[in-house]
Order: sequence, then structure tokens, then C-alpha cells
Amino acid sequence: MIIEIGHFSTIIALVLSVFGMASAALALKTRNPDWARSGRMAVTLIFALLGIGMLSLVYSFIVRDFSVLYVANNSNSKLPFFYTVSAVWGGHEGSLLLWVFILSVFSTLAVWLHWRTQPTIMPYLIGVECAIIFGFLCLIVFLSSPFERLLPVPLEGKDLNPLLQDPAMVMHPPMLYMGYVGFSIPFSFAMAALFSGRLGEEWIKVTQRWTTFAWMCLTTGILLGGYWAYYELGWGGYWGWDPVENASFMPWLVGTAYLHSVLVQEKRKMFKVWNLFLIIVTFSLSLIGTFLVRSGVLTSVHSFATDPERGLYILIFVGTIIGIAFAALILRSAKLKSQVELDSLISRESIFLFNNLFFLVAAATVFLGTLYPLILETLSGAKVTVGPPYYNAVFMPIALGLLFLMGIGPYIPWRKASVANLKKSFSLPLLAGAIMVIVLAVTGIRNLYALAGTYVVAFSGMAIVMDFGKISQLYAQRNSSNIFKGCLAAFTANQRRYAAMLTHIGVLVLVIGIIASTIYQTEKVVSMKIGDEMAIGDYRMKLTNIHDVEGGNWKAEEGVFQVFEDETLLTELRPQKRIYNATQTPTTESAIYSINMGHIFLTMPEVSPEGVAVARGVLNPLILWVWGGGIIMGLGVILNILRPRKREE
Amino acid sequence: MFIPIRLAFLFLFVLATSWPVFAEVQDETLLDVQVREIAKTLRCTVCQTENIWESGAPLAQQMRGVVRDRLKLGHSPEDIKEYFLSRYGDYIMMQPPAHGVNWLLWAGPFILLLGGGLLLYKEVIGWVRRTPTPSTAPPPPLDEQARQRLERELES
Amino acid sequence: MTKSSQLTLVVVLLGLFALFYQGLWGDPRHIPTVLIGTDAPMVEGPDVETGQMISLNQFKGKVILLNFWASWCYECKVEHESVLQLHKLFKDDPNFVMLGINYQDKLPDAQQYLKEYGTTFAHMRDLKGQLAIDYGVYGVPETFVIDQQGKIRYKYVGPVTGHMYTKITQEIIAPLLQGQPNSTPS
Repeated sequence: MIIEIGHFSTIIALVLSVFGMASAALALKTRNPDWARSGRMAVTLIFALLGIGMLSLVYSFIVRDFSVLYVANNSNSKLPFFYTVSAVWGGHEGSLLLWVFILSVFSTLAVWLHWRTQPTIMPYLIGVECAIIFGFLCLIVFLSSPFERLLPVPLEGKDLNPLLQDPAMVMHPPMLYMGYVGFSIPFSFAMAALFSGRLGEEWIKVTQRWTTFAWMCLTTGILLGGYWAYYELGWGGYWGWDPVENASFMPWLVGTAYLHSVLVQEKRKMFKVWNLFLIIVTFSLSLIGTFLVRSGVLTSVHSFATDPERGLYILIFVGTIIGIAFAALILRSAKLKSQVELDSLISRESIFLFNNLFFLVAAATVFLGTLYPLILETLSGAKVTVGPPYYNAVFMPIALGLLFLMGIGPYIPWRKASVANLKKSFSLPLLAGAIMVIVLAVTGIRNLYALAGTYVVAFSGMAIVMDFGKISQLYAQRNSSNIFKGCLAAFTANQRRYAAMLTHIGVLVLVIGIIASTIYQTEKVVSMKIGDEMAIGDYRMKLTNIHDVEGGNWKAEEGVFQVFEDETLLTELRPQKRIYNATQTPTTESAIYSINMGHIFLTMPEVSPEGVAVARGVLNPLILWVWGGGIIMGLGVILNILRPRKREE
Repeated sequence: MFIPIRLAFLFLFVLATSWPVFAEVQDETLLDVQVREIAKTLRCTVCQTENIWESGAPLAQQMRGVVRDRLKLGHSPEDIKEYFLSRYGDYIMMQPPAHGVNWLLWAGPFILLLGGGLLLYKEVIGWVRRTPTPSTAPPPPLDEQARQRLERELES
Repeated sequence: MTKSSQLTLVVVLLGLFALFYQGLWGDPRHIPTVLIGTDAPMVEGPDVETGQMISLNQFKGKVILLNFWASWCYECKVEHESVLQLHKLFKDDPNFVMLGINYQDKLPDAQQYLKEYGTTFAHMRDLKGQLAIDYGVYGVPETFVIDQQGKIRYKYVGPVTGHMYTKITQEIIAPLLQGQPNSTPS
């Protein structure tokens, strides 16, 4: 009964989304604010109804109602409670519902938050959001309903995919979707600007926090996905350039370009069309990512089960939205005369343009790599794999370029930089980079990417520190306070800038973590009997026991490894080889010990009947910097969003 | 059984079990390392996007076995890759070979970067030329700039 | 936006969606084989039922149909009847041989499977997966046709039933047996 209520609410929400579009259109036609008000009501009700839909599904999972097909497919009577809730978005249908639910939350928030200040935008916002909601709800109601019943009712569910029974996977999809969906708000405002012809800076200023928030969610979502892959897939890596990972990375790259280029429009009122283009591309890539993941066009470890009919529908829907957006852009821009004023090639404006170029080329690279197998197959019938070796080779130089620009951009003044200015700002950072490289080279590091990466990181880091130090000192002098108070004063005086710099520092930390943990990873695989030892790096691991353990819904063989550094016992690691009862799926559970900001990562992929275990040890130096960098980035973004409102905003 | 004999057995048992177990240090052989190097370049054909080193699929396991066996027989890593290529085609390699139409894939990003960079450079130079020179005085010395920025920041 | 950039944008978008549309009808898991026309590897292995060694070598000069299967494979059960039917159709021809290759299986399971579903031809065990890799197998059932010259003439992934059954019997095997080695395998 409960699930039918959810099903019914979702259908009503679908009807209301049509009503929302209609009232938005009428509001524009009649200029009667009552229509906008009823559109607002529609959006709010959609949110409430989809909330009921979500709750009914959550409830069915909690009571383990296997008469619901989706619950029977993604749950089991032995599934721990924690995961019964996350199982709601463990499959295709439920995760779509989560997508559209988050969309309705954001739409409702946006409509109410900006109602007073942006009355002219509202009909457009309501119309665009309702159109997107309509598209997704059609997909849910007609082609992938999580509310279907199953007859006869099975006694037991098939269980949630064991790989998804992981804490990081509980949060990863919601964060990712909040990122994708978050970009729909600036997208809607951009569409409003295009349709209404008011192409000023207003829409950008209004949506700046939305964009930043969406960007933060997407970043967090991507990092959580990496964290999950690292713990759960058991090969000691966090990024595999898998099509699904790429699908989330592409909107991130273009979204980041957009995040930067809007600053130019805010400050100098230039590149209006360009910014519209970027936000349309960002949101389009979010939609295309959804298509790629769910249509079965590409395969990946993460793919949902798919059928071409569903894929065709998503393609038509996504194509319509993207088509309308670009058509509006092209038609409007034809009438817009671009008035670009640039004083110098070496100015903040122009650095931002090159930043955009690099980000777009990076996105295009990922796009090309992801779709190349499909392109080649369509054209010649041949099949190839585009795997990590390709991306590592091609993406790295582009990433290095971006990091270098990151060190330059913020410290070059708007309009024009003088040579004296350049010398003063960058001679020390250039020197710092050189010193770091020499130090590393002397210690025996010869890897070109490691050296180049270090140079760029040292350069950019030094530039940030110098700039902030200088301003802080001036504040300290002026207020005759100490330097710490000066720092604080400087930070709060221009929180938007320095929060962004904090995010930049997070990026640098992350990059150091990536360089160290990929280039200096040590890996060893050996077969061991009880009592044997293996040495990896400075550590020894001694297998002391292999025994059976049991969890709620799985059984496992667990190896007990004592980890020594010299003769001191550091810890005991217990990697497992699990079999989940319901699906009989094996998983390898890694055991991890953190030391010196790095990890000793241990898995036991095989145990022979004779008691010989295959142990796989990986040393990942500085891997904590990857996650730490992510946290610093997030902190920077939060401080940016929470900055006090200034007069001009 | 007589007590002394039992005791003797017990003694022997205790001795045998408490004998310090000398840990045997296991290490990777050169062969293991070679297997890994090769396995990382080959794609697991049933699991998609994973190499046969990282994959736990039975086919990947058997492929690793084949790599090992062939190395033992004295085949070179190149021979082994060639063998897999001849059985499964380009698909088996984790990256497309850099020949034929694939150069588009390999060079594409750099062409975009260089082409885009050149275009952007020309465009920017054009904009700069068309912009009337600002009538303002030459930029003030740097400390002055910083002070001005400070003033601005304090103001807003 | 200039005219040319507008045009580029439109072309790129259209191309992209055409590509996506095309991609919908493909099977990304399908790997085209590179083995057609190459020498069939002369594999050998123990018989599933008797344990005697069988070698492909001993059938040189005949048309050989190889069928990779496993007891855990659902689609193998689907095709089992028509595979037996196929054998019945050609078994009287002295130039035809049919061999099963048992893939990634446990011996008792495989024996049980054959007992349960019956068989009329011999099955070879693939002990270490080497045979399957030699034939570029990635999913069972897979079926190969080898001609009198020992060249692989045809490969199909999936159950040999219905339309595929007709195709393999009438368009591939029959012409080969009638000594028309030039007939076109597609």
C-alpha cells in the first residue's frame, strides 16, 4: 500500500510538472504574477510529492518489502540496516528518483530564495526546472519505475551489490547528483537571460553561490567515488579513468572553467556569450553523463543494466534540452555585438581565457578518450580500449599547464601587468620551484613528471603564500597588530579571494598526493604460508593466521598479518576474502594502516585449500594528501559560500 | 599408557609447538614482477575497463597464468603481448596502438591545445590592438599598488 | 559568436547525437574476432567423460565445429538441444567432426551436465583456460567452424539457435562439406 502512495505521488508530480511549465508560459504571456505564483506552488508541491515518493521507497526498504521489485532486486533480509537506506539509490530506478528529487529540492529552494529579488526571472526558472523534472519523471514513471510490484512475492531479496555495501557509497551518489543538479540552477538563470535578452551580469552574481555549491558537491562526489574505489575495489588505486568516472569528471572540468570565467564578466562585463556557452556545456555534460551511464552505449564496471529503448528515450530528452539551449544561445548571440576591451596580453583577463582553454581541452581529451571506442566502432567496426595509460600520457601535460596558470592568474592584475610587477611577483616562486626540483633531483628522483609536477606545485604554492603574506603584513602594519591578526584581517577583508586561494592550496596538496602515490607506489604480490614474511619497502609483514570470520550477510577468510618496521610491531592488518551469502559474490576487503601520511594497503585476493595465501601489499606514499587536499578544497569553498554579503551583491 | 610416556609425549609436543618458528621471507621473483608488468597492459575482456592484473575474474586469472607460463618458456614480453593481440585484437591492449587512425586520439588533445592556443593568442592580440590606450598614467610602483589594493579591500 | 563558430557548434552537436544514436544499437560487450582466416590452434585436452587425451590434430583435413561451453552457463543450456540437432544433421558425413570444449568448469559439474542433458559427441576439458585464450574466447557459448585446411572460417558468440542455427548449418558448414571452400563466410 505504502509503495502505491509513492507511485501515485510521483505520477501527480509528473502532472504538476506539466502544469508548472504551462503556468510559467502563461506568466510570461499574460504578465500576470498570479501565474508565476501558481508555478511556484507547483514546484513546491512537486518537491513534497517526490519527497513522499522517496519516503515510501525508503520505508519499503526498511521493512524489506520484497513484493516491491526494486526492493527485491537490491535488498535482502540480512542486509545491514545502514545499507538498506542507501540501497534506495543502489540501482538504476532508485538513483533516478534520487536525481529528480534533489532537482525538486533545489528548484524549490531557488524559487523561494530568489522570489523577491528576481521576479522577472521566476517564470523562466520555473519553466526550465519543470521541463527537466518532467523529462526525468517521464523516464521514471513510464520506463524505469522503482514502484513496480513483483508477483509472486519472493521470500528473499537478491541483495544489494556487495561492492556498494560501503560507507563511501552511501554518500557518493547523493553528492554527485547534488553537483549535477546544482548546475541546473545557473543553467536555468542562463536560459532566462537568453530568452529574456537581459544578458547583463545580474544572473551571474545571483547564481554565484549556487555554482560554487554545485561545484563543491561535484568535487566531493568525485573524491568520494575515488575513496570508494580505493577501499572497495582492492587494487590500491583511486582513479581508473573508467567511463563512469569520466562522465562525472567532464562536467567538473567545464564547470571549473565556468567558475573562473564568470569572474571576468563580473569585473569587466566581457565574454557574456562565452559564459553562457560554458554553463550550457557544463549542464549538458551532466545530462550526457547520465545518458552515457544509463543507456548501455559504453560499458564500465559501474554500468546499470540497460536497454536500448530506455537509452533512446534519454537521448531524445537530453538532446531536446541541449538542442533548445544551444539554439537559444546561437540565435541570441547573433544579435549581440561583442565589445571586448583588453589592455594587454599579460592581464588577469587574458590568463583566465587561457585557463578556460586548458580546462576545455582537458574536458575534450576526456570526452574523446571516453567516446573514441564508440567513434571507431561506428566508423570502422574495430574495437579498442582507451585505458589509464592513454589518459596518463595525454592528460598530465595539460594538467601541469593548468597548475602553472593557477600560480600566475591570481597575482596578475586586471587590465595590465607591468614587467616590474611580474618580476616582483614571480621571481621568488620561480626560484622556489627550481630549488625544489634541484633538491629532488639530488635525492635521486629522476621521473620527469614528478619533477615537473613538483616545480609547478612549488611555484604556485609560493605565489599564493607570498601574495597573502604581503597583504597580511600591510594589514598588520596598518592596525599595528601581530602578523596572525594581520592574516585574519586580510582573510576576512576579502574572504571571497582568499577562500578561493585556500581551495587552490587544497588543489596543490591533492596534486602532491597524486604525484607521490602514483609515481612512487610500491607493489608486491607474494604467496605465503602461515609463518611466512614478506618485505615491502621498510616494512615486513608476517602472516600469523588465517581463519574464518562471519558478518551479518557474508562469510570470509581473514588473514592476520603483523606489520613490523625493523623489529617494532606497528599493527595487525586483517584483509579478508569475503563471499556474500545471497549473491555468492566474492569481494576482497582491503586492510589499511596509515603511516607517515601514506598507507600500507594489504589485500588477500586468494587463499588456496592448502592454506597458501596470496598477499598483495601496496605502499602508497602521501596518499592521505589526496583526501586532505580534497578536504582543504571543500573548506575553501564553504568559506567562500559563507562569506558575508557585500554591498554590491 | 604409562604416565611417563604420556609426559614424554607432552614434552615433545610442547617442544615441537614452541620451537621458534623461523619466518621464511617470501619475496617476489623477477618472474612475478614481469608478470605484473605485462598483466597491467592487457585488458580483462569480460570485466571491461579493468586490466587483467587488477581484475579478479577467472578469465583474467587464467590470462595471468598464460603470461606466466609463456615467460617461463622464455617468451619475451613483446612476444606475449603479440600473442594476445593475435587472439583478441587491439581490444586486449589497455591503450590503442599509436598507428592508423588512432593518431587522431593521441595527437587530438595537443592539436586542440596548440590550435586553440594560437587562435586565442591571435584573438587576444587583436582585442588589445583595438582597445584604445587607457589615458591613465603609467601603473604606480608596486608597493603603492599593494597599498591601493589594501585600501580597496578595507573599503568594501 | 561568428557564423563559422555557430556552424561548428551545430555540426559538432549533430555529429555527437548521431553517434549516440548509432551507439544505442551496438553491443559494447561484443568483441569482433580477429581470428577469421587464421590457422586454428591445434589444441588438446582430456575427454570430459573418459579422460583420454583428444587432440585437434587427429581431425586434420575435416570440417570441425568447436563449441565452448560450461555447466554454469545459462545460454549453453538454451543452445544445447539445437547443438545436438546440428550434430545429428552432419554426423554421418565422414568429413565432419564436432567437439565440445568445457570452459572454466569443475569436472564433476561438467560430467553431471553431460549426463543430465545428454550428448552425442566428445568434449575436451580446458584445464588452465589456455585453450579458450588460444581461441580468443571471452564468454560462453562460443562456436567456431574450422575448414579442411585448418583455417577458422566462422565464429559466433551466443547460443546457436533459430536464425543462427540455420545460418551455421546451411551457409557455413554445408557448403564447406560440399567442397565449396570459396563460399563467403560473413
